[in-house]
Amino acid sequence: MADIRSLPALADRRPLTSPQVTLSALPEGTVLQVIAGPKTPDLTRLAGEAGLVARAIAPGQWFLVGNRPTAHQDMRRLLAMLEPDASGIDQSHGRVRMLMEGPMAAAVLSKGTAVDLDPTVFPPGTTAATLVGHVSAHLTRLDNEAFEITVLRGFAAALWDDLALMCAEYL
Amino acid sequence: MASLVPCPHCGSRPKEEFTVKGAALKRPSPEAGADAWFDYVYLRDNPRGGYEEYWHHTAGCRRWLIVDRDTATHQVTSCRDAASASAKEHGA
Ligand SMILES: [Zn+2]
Repeated sequence: MADIRSLPALADRRPLTSPQVTLSALPEGTVLQVIAGPKTPDLTRLAGEAGLVARAIAPGQWFLVGNRPTAHQDMRRLLAMLEPDASGIDQSHGRVRMLMEGPMAAAVLSKGTAVDLDPTVFPPGTTAATLVGHVSAHLTRLDNEAFEITVLRGFAAALWDDLALMCAEYL
Repeated sequence: MASLVPCPHCGSRPKEEFTVKGAALKRPSPEAGADAWFDYVYLRDNPRGGYEEYWHHTAGCRRWLIVDRDTATHQVTSCRDAASASAKEHGA
């Protein structure tokens, strides 16, 4: 039978590494977009039970993300548990996550986004949907010096190359 | 001049993240008649000063907002979610 495994969007991009900043692709595991009505289920609990973490996007919207793919049966169970107050849309195929780390990570990202990344304004755990250059992206500050960047799959390579250019002075 | 829009959900963001739809007007009643509807669809004031517009935070929270800005200075005096604006005021 033909091998029809999908190729990760950033398969041919080698991680960039320096003491100042590193850029790497995160595993294409699970990205579930959740849209909730006025009564939001306890997403932190539901995500945790499924081995995922919740990232706020906008009022009533979240990504539940994880580094491992979610099996079809587990995904069906999770989607059923979200109803009727929320609905989930599997975006695992459609979004790609990257990790930017290091003491200069915030300085690099600031070249591309107008979000104030000062840690007192944008502390660890904060998320933002914004533009990085001309590309819509979703940022999560994981740590003082670590950011997760989520982007539509078709823009992943282009955004990677933009970020690589923004990192260049520190490599 | 930098144009920053204070999104109630996302904080201060540059205008490049937004799409402007145009004047936020009171919607006529369905029975208001052709003249009132023609004005609502086609007629616009062009004031120098305060003006309320629908802005969509396209590259952010993707919410529709009502931005009250000065057309001469671009100073934004208020920015609120269109869904939280009163239905009577904007006929949403
Ligand atoms: Zn917003």
